[in-house]
Amino acid sequence: MLAGMHPLERLLNLVALLLETKRPLTYEEIGTTLGAYDQDDPASAKRQFERDKDTLRQIGIPIEVVSTDAWEVDQAYRIPKERYELPDISFTPDEVAALFVAAHAAGEEGEAAQAFRKLALGAESGMLAALSGQAAPTGIDASGPHLPRIAEGVSGHRRLRFRYRPAEGEEGDREVDAWGLVFRRGAWYLIGGDRDRKEPRAFRLSRITSEVKDIGGGDAPPEGFRAGDHLSAGPWGVGEPDTTARVAFSPKVAWWALAGIPGSRTLETRPDGWTEADVPAAAGESFVSWVLSFGPDAVVLAPDPVRRTVVAALERVRASG
Amino acid sequence: MPPARTAERLGRMLAVVPYVVRHPGVHVSELSRLFGVPDDELVADLHLLLMTGLPPYTPGDLVEVDVDDEGHVWIRMADHFSRPVRLTHAEALALYLRGSELLGAPGLPEAEALRSALDKIAAVLGPEALGALTVAVEDPGQGGPLGAVRRAVEASESIEIDYYSATRDQLTTRRVDPEQLFSALGNWYAVAWDHDADAERLFRVDRMKEVRPTGRSFQPRGLLGRGRELYTTSEQDIRVRLQLAPRARWVAEYYMVDDAAERNGTVEVSLPTKDLAWVAKLVLRLGGEVHVLEPPELADLSRRLADDTLALYR
Repeated sequence: MLAGMHPLERLLNLVALLLETKRPLTYEEIGTTLGAYDQDDPASAKRQFERDKDTLRQIGIPIEVVSTDAWEVDQAYRIPKERYELPDISFTPDEVAALFVAAHAAGEEGEAAQAFRKLALGAESGMLAALSGQAAPTGIDASGPHLPRIAEGVSGHRRLRFRYRPAEGEEGDREVDAWGLVFRRGAWYLIGGDRDRKEPRAFRLSRITSEVKDIGGGDAPPEGFRAGDHLSAGPWGVGEPDTTARVAFSPKVAWWALAGIPGSRTLETRPDGWTEADVPAAAGESFVSWVLSFGPDAVVLAPDPVRRTVVAALERVRASG
Repeated sequence: MPPARTAERLGRMLAVVPYVVRHPGVHVSELSRLFGVPDDELVADLHLLLMTGLPPYTPGDLVEVDVDDEGHVWIRMADHFSRPVRLTHAEALALYLRGSELLGAPGLPEAEALRSALDKIAAVLGPEALGALTVAVEDPGQGGPLGAVRRAVEASESIEIDYYSATRDQLTTRRVDPEQLFSALGNWYAVAWDHDADAERLFRVDRMKEVRPTGRSFQPRGLLGRGRELYTTSEQDIRVRLQLAPRARWVAEYYMVDDAAERNGTVEVSLPTKDLAWVAKLVLRLGGEVHVLEPPELADLSRRLADDTLALYR
């Protein structure tokens, strides 16, 4: 083969050779077999080989390195097939279509799209062609710059450092052992062990104001850790339910009021057109705030303590100003 | 060829080959669409593939690539590349997180299939590709007539909607051309041309009481979807200024506010709006944790709203 062969050609041959070889091959053996890395300057030839290995690793190809002598001077290389090949995962056509939507929801030709192509290999070819012919109409707002780094951290239980601006209080530095991610109402939260406060805390990614630094291995989460348990309810929802409230809604809002509230149950539409429903509710302010967002189009019928809290809040509004 | 491009082309080739092996006779145009690469670049890479193989590289050891006159592709003698490379850590994470975000958006028709697909990925590739990643997605509830709107977007078909506008507290019927659909802050939004307003508008899908197809198709105007601001400021905006007590500070984050300023534990914010009706409801729900600085009509409106609501409890 010619020394001036195309880089892509050389790399394809290198992958094939290291995949199929029965035993690990040394740099010299690889060069001789491929007819590559034979520049006049041995140092630059070796550098090219090192760059090629980096390229392979960059696209996820595992290279096994073994020593060929007891002094570990000479090394030999191979690609273990069982770690190179993607195992077959059989997806239904519906699952392939759903993954396609997910892979392209952010718009750009990114890593998710590349992952999809590898996974969808076994799907009917006509189906993939039909899917990829149409632009995905279902978009999702970008998850912000910190998500990939934080997800890396969670997947390896790493310790992360960043600056954080809490909803209440001063901005400051945080050191957190990354344990889990929660996605709620369009926002990502990191749940992890706060090193200073010595307890699990939730951090909204959009409030991180610096780069996220990986500063080493972190502690593992405690036994039975569940990420969802450590995020208090946002003030714009019904809150973590600990009771059930009966609420009546006017016809103007009844048809959409409960759509975003899991676990709610519509009971009856009264002769006056209002609809009564049971809503899982937190006794605290979050539920009251939600009911009040409907103004005079919603009224709490029971239980009494919740009714009293609503009335007290309304009295405060009337008195203020 | 810069190294990044080489890596990209190599990675693509190692995915194209197994695909063609699995689908003999596939058309070049299908490959280029699927892999997001121009036809000629793909064919050039296939020609390079032709020169590769296994030692001792005699003609019988090289990969055979056939592209016929009509553009159909066959690859033989490429058993060593018959399976794609495993997902990189970054690829697996990216797909898994995107999928999770979609599961957290209300009423997606594909949700069930997506969940089972992600479960399969986690089960087969789990520890190696995703590590100890744990993701909890909160149940987003129902999302309104998402399917009907999506069909209209895909077909570029005008629809008639009964729409409740929270900002104006009104239910109106409008004819719109929906061009884009995206999820933000836990809601689905349709970007559409509103024929009644003769302007571009954003519509929350869960506030559409009904969607009726019209059978008329429209020419898309190229309206901007995902990534846009949810509120566009204008000359007609009313200047609202609020002083938020600590328990009401979430407002500064949830809504688009201007020049927030800290003052003795409270935050003062400006909120651009065209309508006071929804701001009065916001003041109501904050139950005394907010002080209206301006305009005075807003304070009056909020107190009236409180009176009307209190009447329901007597």
